Amino acid sequence: MRLIDIIKTANHNLFQNKIRTFLTILAIFIGSFTIVLNTAINSGVNSFIDKQVESIGGDGFIEVFPAAMYDQVNSAMKSGTAATEYNPDTGSALSSNISDSDLEKLRKVEGVNTLEIFHMLSPEWITSNHTDKKYNVAIEYFPNTDFNVDLSAGQMLDHEAKDYEILLTEEYLEPLGFKDPEDAIDKTITIGFKQTTLCYTQPDNCIKKVDAKVVGVQAPGILSMSGELQINAALSDAIYDGSMKGVPVETAAKANIIAVGSVDPEKLDNIREKFRNIGYEIMTIDDTVGMIRTFLDVVLIVFTIFGAIALLAASIGIINTLFMSVQERTREIGLMKALGMGSGKIFLLFSLEATLLGFWGSVFGIAVSVAAGLAGNGIAHSTFLADFPTFSLTEFTPLNVVVITLTIMLVAFVSGTLPAIKAARKNPIDALRYE
Amino acid sequence: MKPLIEVTNLSKTYGKKSTAFRALKDINLTINEGETVAIVGKSGSGKSTLMHLLALLDQPTTGTIKINDINSHKLKQRQLNRLRNREFGFVFQQFFMNANDSVLNNVLLPLKISSTRRRARKKLALDALKTVGLEDKASNKANDLSGGQKQRVCIARAIVNNPKIIFADEPTGNLDSVTGDKVIKLLFDLNRNKKVTLIIVTHDLELANKCQRQIHIKDGKITKDTGTKTSATKKEAKK
Repeated sequence: MRLIDIIKTANHNLFQNKIRTFLTILAIFIGSFTIVLNTAINSGVNSFIDKQVESIGGDGFIEVFPAAMYDQVNSAMKSGTAATEYNPDTGSALSSNISDSDLEKLRKVEGVNTLEIFHMLSPEWITSNHTDKKYNVAIEYFPNTDFNVDLSAGQMLDHEAKDYEILLTEEYLEPLGFKDPEDAIDKTITIGFKQTTLCYTQPDNCIKKVDAKVVGVQAPGILSMSGELQINAALSDAIYDGSMKGVPVETAAKANIIAVGSVDPEKLDNIREKFRNIGYEIMTIDDTVGMIRTFLDVVLIVFTIFGAIALLAASIGIINTLFMSVQERTREIGLMKALGMGSGKIFLLFSLEATLLGFWGSVFGIAVSVAAGLAGNGIAHSTFLADFPTFSLTEFTPLNVVVITLTIMLVAFVSGTLPAIKAARKNPIDALRYE
Repeated sequence: MKPLIEVTNLSKTYGKKSTAFRALKDINLTINEGETVAIVGKSGSGKSTLMHLLALLDQPTTGTIKINDINSHKLKQRQLNRLRNREFGFVFQQFFMNANDSVLNNVLLPLKISSTRRRARKKLALDALKTVGLEDKASNKANDLSGGQKQRVCIARAIVNNPKIIFADEPTGNLDSVTGDKVIKLLFDLNRNKKVTLIIVTHDLELANKCQRQIHIKDGKITKDTGTKTSATKKEAKK
């Protein structure tokens, strides 16, 4: 028998008992629907993150940490305890700094375009003339990096400017008393920060204030998701100098520093390796976003496991259906064998029937999940994703769909082997005599 | 006439040891090309078992069957399948048709199994249906036919591959005498026109007597073999 005839016969046989076939396909459908939709959401969210990372041009952006600091965090995560042994050579891991000589070495690594030291700032609060309340805030200053910051109003920070400048994110607009992004431009906000030395003597009166001009408002995106407000060099210096006032210059210079820079993204692996040899670890935007991805992956894996369990149950349904089918067609099997059909072809006929059940179940599942996914995208864009027109909640890639279909067909084929072997082993005489 | 099937010392035992049942005991016979042979016996006599062995559907416990001088023991399963598919035709008392399939599809099943091309097998199947006078029913559902028509479809299925031998197991068992006669006439026409060897298993003596040769079986043994003159002479000559 030709393969095409076997496939046609198997498909024909499938629809001899329509209700039974439909119910079996329905079970497979549930599994396939869950998995396809999950994969689509996974791929949609990830491609959104990719697009965001790409759009801010953060490919070559790195943050540099002393390896000891990185190791401490890592080993604490791995060993489950932060109480690792003290090493006098590296000193306290979390206070390790980047020495000037190391900085020079790092700058010379091939592919490093810029590498600048900056100080981590920790202001107390932010407020404006339009509100009595003070709000928590985190700020950051990225010298010499070329992010494409997506602005909903105003313009980018000027790091050369002497004026103090800040970018707000949309979530700060309403609390600070601004109607919309345009309304905030050129308005003044106030940032409060502690002058560390003063706090020892006058704990109630050690907060200093600095005014800054809002030059732009960041559009929602991956950068604004961190919740940090970006400031220009002048403001950064003002806050740093203010908070370190009274601290000996050398000590101040070494406190809370971190290096950021831009590198050739093509050479990232090589740079990572070289930095590691000098004793530093780098973190890219991708690494940071990786944590979000890991979280998403865990959620989606859980749902995929649900889908897989549904498929497992469905495959038992397939076995059952096929056993009934073999039983019902015992005489037909006998006849075909008497007419010279080999056992291998009989096996193929029944296992293909199972495979086709898997095929139809997954096609059905894909069709419904594509419909549901598109409908979901529509709903999302008119509600909670209204600010992200480029974000498709679900994204169906042909490769995923094909791989899932083939996997389900394989599962169905494997489920079909047991009944198919039973069919193939039937003796033609006994099968023909079967009542 | 050439010997087509030669059977020597054929036995078939079902079960093992204490429960063993000897369905056939030491059968020797030769069937020649173009013969019409009736295997006659009561139910349980072993006549169906003999036919199954002759048709290579089952394996004998001891003894050999030669078809066209080829010992069936020496054939591999694939060759046995091929032999049944190409050289044998089967007609069964219970028809064994795919009830939901069309008449045409039922007839061309052996050709499907032998991987004949689509167009060729349709033509051959229509020719076979013409031979049994049912070409106008080709696209009907098999289930919608009467008993006699069903058996004629089965005959069409048995001859679609142009077989050398047709094995018919109680071909008229489920039919009334008028339709039964029609079916029998068809079978004998095939014997006459296409030189097909007919081996009919029956308990109906009237049908058996229409064959050139009757082999009576009782308790697994041949009690009477009318033989054919020609084959007898040849047997003598061989000795």
